[in-house]
Amino acid sequence: MPAPKRLAVLRCLDWSAVVAAKNSTTPCAVIHAQRVISRTPAAMRYGVQVGMRRRHAQALCPDIEIVAHQPSRDRTAFDAVVRVVNELVPLIEVSEPGLIVFAARGPSRYMGGDGPMALKIVEALKTSVADSHLAASLVGVAVGVGIADSRLAAQIAAHASAFASSSANLFSPYVVEPDKTNEWLAPQSVRVLSEFASINRETISLLERLGLNTLRDVCALSESILAGRFGELGVELHRLSRGDEQYPLAVVPHPPEHLCIEKFDEPVSDQQIIINSVQRMAVAFTEYYSVHGSVCVRIVISFESEAGKRSERLWYRPHGLTTSAIIENAKWQLEAWLASQISSQISSDISGYPENHALENHALENRSLENRSLENRSLENHGLVRVQLIADEVRTDTARQLRLWGGSTQTDETATQAIGRLSELLGSSAVQVAKWQGGRDILDSYQLVSATHAQTIGNANSHEQIPAQKWRGALPNPSPSVVYSEPIQVQINDQFGKLLSVSARHELSASPVSVIIGSTHYKVNSWAGPWPVEERWWDLARSRRLVRLQLVCEKITVDSVSQILAMLAILEHGEWTVAAIYS
Amino acid sequence: MQLDTKQRLTELSIKELLARQQLDTKPQVVERLAVADDVRELLPDSGLVRGRIVRCSGDAGLSLALSLCSLATQQGSWLGVVGVEHLGLLAAVEHGVALERTVLVHPPKTSREWSITVAAAIEGLDLLIVAVPERLSVNDARRVQTRLQSRRAVMIIVENTMLSQSRSMHGSSEAQQFLADVVLDTKTKSWSGVDRGTGYLQHRDVRIRVSGRRVTRERNYLVTRSC
Repeated sequence: MPAPKRLAVLRCLDWSAVVAAKNSTTPCAVIHAQRVISRTPAAMRYGVQVGMRRRHAQALCPDIEIVAHQPSRDRTAFDAVVRVVNELVPLIEVSEPGLIVFAARGPSRYMGGDGPMALKIVEALKTSVADSHLAASLVGVAVGVGIADSRLAAQIAAHASAFASSSANLFSPYVVEPDKTNEWLAPQSVRVLSEFASINRETISLLERLGLNTLRDVCALSESILAGRFGELGVELHRLSRGDEQYPLAVVPHPPEHLCIEKFDEPVSDQQIIINSVQRMAVAFTEYYSVHGSVCVRIVISFESEAGKRSERLWYRPHGLTTSAIIENAKWQLEAWLASQISSQISSDISGYPENHALENHALENRSLENRSLENRSLENHGLVRVQLIADEVRTDTARQLRLWGGSTQTDETATQAIGRLSELLGSSAVQVAKWQGGRDILDSYQLVSATHAQTIGNANSHEQIPAQKWRGALPNPSPSVVYSEPIQVQINDQFGKLLSVSARHELSASPVSVIIGSTHYKVNSWAGPWPVEERWWDLARSRRLVRLQLVCEKITVDSVSQILAMLAILEHGEWTVAAIYS
Repeated sequence: MQLDTKQRLTELSIKELLARQQLDTKPQVVERLAVADDVRELLPDSGLVRGRIVRCSGDAGLSLALSLCSLATQQGSWLGVVGVEHLGLLAAVEHGVALERTVLVHPPKTSREWSITVAAAIEGLDLLIVAVPERLSVNDARRVQTRLQSRRAVMIIVENTMLSQSRSMHGSSEAQQFLADVVLDTKTKSWSGVDRGTGYLQHRDVRIRVSGRRVTRERNYLVTRSC
């Protein structure tokens, strides 16, 4: 965009937790991979923080409601909010449930200023929430609007506004003066980069240890110094701290029309056909940009129905949109549009029905998005006549980016296609690849990420690191082949039947004699340990103290056959659990 | 030779086709994926023959399956792990599996959807480690097996370790929807390296019994594995 733009960000704090909670007063935390990713304000008052382990959160607040992470539930519930905002602002971007970004200039001018625009939007939200009998928990959601020149600044402002609104119980938007974004950003701590700009948390803690605590300090260094130390990431850090966008925009001529518009002679109702045509276009689209050495980061997907109704939405990914990302976003948009069309149709058929059917969506939360896409849902009377992809922002494709897979050999290509097909069948969260993360916990060292979101594969370096550098405090080789993401409760008893404990000097209270898992009794043959582990004593939220024990147990089955079982047991917060089995 | 996967092939016609295949190809060029030295002698063909099913059962089954796949993934084949809950990725790396060519898939447990998922995975991945759901119907299993043979992929069947339930005896009493060509039944005899509080788990002695359709003579091996 040639003219300097103003971005507005609307943020609903702790959306995942608020949607999952039964009502607005119970403390609730949403867990993914044993860590808290979102918690309600009620839980926050007990000291539960994001990034904490589940057991730690439960230790702080025993009554806390623990809910598993379900992205489809968050998304479906957020569709209600999106619809309301969409009525006031024609083109919006929903990057994740709880966050809406849109260009502020147009709507602001229309509604008489930044402040009045924000107030109007939030008013509309509050009225729709009150009208539509949404779940009681949503009534208490903290909404904030931030308006600034850069995306990062607007996000920080929105967060601040949401925080202030929830504590003061009165909504007030946070507007950063035009052209003052730079100065406003300067005193912010570098932690905002990991919170809002998806920079690796480890990098940020490294910055702090190097003495760079605020964005001003980062700006004070020259870009070349940061680039020398961090590579391309350093350039991004500098750009973000300045108030620029995370990446330099590239100017690439728009692709020819036949690549990005598909018009249907007959209105198409079959979802699968629409998705297939989106797939064709997405492939050609990304090809075109990669040939020009760039990648699209922001795209508008536009559907037009035969009745003349349009659905246009922005989609954004900071590192670039891959083909599968575009297809997935198109599916979400289509599903959301479908739901809104059907609900508005129902409401026009039956008078007196509430306009907003988010309550129905809540009831459907057990059926995942993936299940619904396996069925063949057709749009009656709402056939599509046109699908279009419009590139909004394009960045130069650097080596760190974007080819989803190295794709050098034919085997790699066929594998990539099969993986894409599987992701489409099952949804992106059911197909995962491993990413090296590091850590002394066997659960942590490799993280599973969805295959469609994996940025670079074929990074041979990252996998060679492992044998060379052994993590300090890690379990010795061999590692167990079955690692439970949810550790299994177990009782380890000594010869008197008393529960085993570990003294402050890391000594076992007695020799372990029996292990009871569920209703099965095992006899302990030998053991190794206890090995104490203490992590992050300085970080209250993420500190851990635990003890590891390796056990070799034996079970005599009814046929008098003995089964040997080797396991890794962990004592944390006074409870023994089985973390892994050597199978 | 082309197999029309849409046709329903009965057991009899499979045997016919296999017999015909053996007549057509005179030199016994059996296409196989290489396996690491320490497990090579376990397999009757000294490798993973394409289009065949291997079952790794017992309490060292999963690590044995990982050992079987390691060399192939290092040489460029892709591995799909379907339905195996709680796979230890660090263990996979230690066995030598190339994680950059590994995908983990979590399919639904219903018979039809599981078979569709595995069929889709077979399309592009050479190697599969799968855990078979209990409710898999015989027809769906047959479909998967046919697809496996036509696409020349290898499937290794493992079990998901259930702790709190009583484990049934290996093999015989369970419903076996897939007829495995090679069955490697493992049983851990003992672990070494740990004592009363000292040391750490290092090696184990495993008894591996090799049997199956393609194995002419059942054999027992006592192997020391470092995992």
